[in-house]
Amino acid sequence: MLKTRAWIAIVAAAALVLGLLSWYTLTKKGSGSVVEIVQDGKVLRTIDLDLVAAEYSFTVECPEGGSNTILVQPGRICVAEADCPDRICVHQGWLSDGAAPVVCMPHRLVLRLKDGEEADAVVR
Amino acid sequence: MTKRITRAALLTALALILFVAEAQIPPLVPIPGVKLGLANAVTVWAMFSLGPADTLAILLARILLGSVFAGSVSAAIFSLSGGVLCYLAMLLLRRILTESQMWVCSVFAAVCHNAGQLLAAILVYRTKGLALYFPVLMLSGIVTGLFTGLTAQLVARRLGRRG
Repeated sequence: MLKTRAWIAIVAAAALVLGLLSWYTLTKKGSGSVVEIVQDGKVLRTIDLDLVAAEYSFTVECPEGGSNTILVQPGRICVAEADCPDRICVHQGWLSDGAAPVVCMPHRLVLRLKDGEEADAVVR
Repeated sequence: MTKRITRAALLTALALILFVAEAQIPPLVPIPGVKLGLANAVTVWAMFSLGPADTLAILLARILLGSVFAGSVSAAIFSLSGGVLCYLAMLLLRRILTESQMWVCSVFAAVCHNAGQLLAAILVYRTKGLALYFPVLMLSGIVTGLFTGLTAQLVARRLGRRG
């Protein structure tokens, strides 16, 4: 049996390491400008944010009811409105602020940066 | 046997109340998956006071009924994958911890719960980028697990004294 003091040290050390890692992953900048809107693992739409000239928005319906309104502006995208209970997706703000995807868990919706976008950009 | 079933049913009801009440609290941080997990206090207490079999019954009943109340199938998938991992962690830890170290069990259980839930989310959403949430969700597991664990420990101590 480990002494309680040892467990406190283990948990505190883990918290410190995870805190530093979280800071890194959540402030990490995303690369690329192509965004995918995904529901249930299926890509509904792909948008290149660099090619967006004027602001527009559209609504994604959840098969079981409920919807998210997605706002697209030149160079950035976010969930502007949602009728899910927690509205975390709305509070997460612009996707372009970080590499971590914007998620609406109740509606199984994800806004994410497309993988391997850098390679495409060079070709184009 | 009747006493055992009644006790398990009562605890399931208690866990469900905590689960539903907690859902009414607006999210404190805009990070998907971060939640207090008050019902974890019931699970941890049961693991130490009632044993693994009763705890599993309470946990599964809460997840099943909780998903019905929350009204979504996806909630059940995430809850179940988190719950199973959390249960396995507790099963291992209860052997090497004393009752006054219940909070340690709760911390690891919460961390495993969050990790299991995120793993399920990565598979269901088919989005590898969600892995970026691993550190912050595990950290949140430490904080919330500490809180619910100390709650469970306090309850165990008070109940223990009365015998």
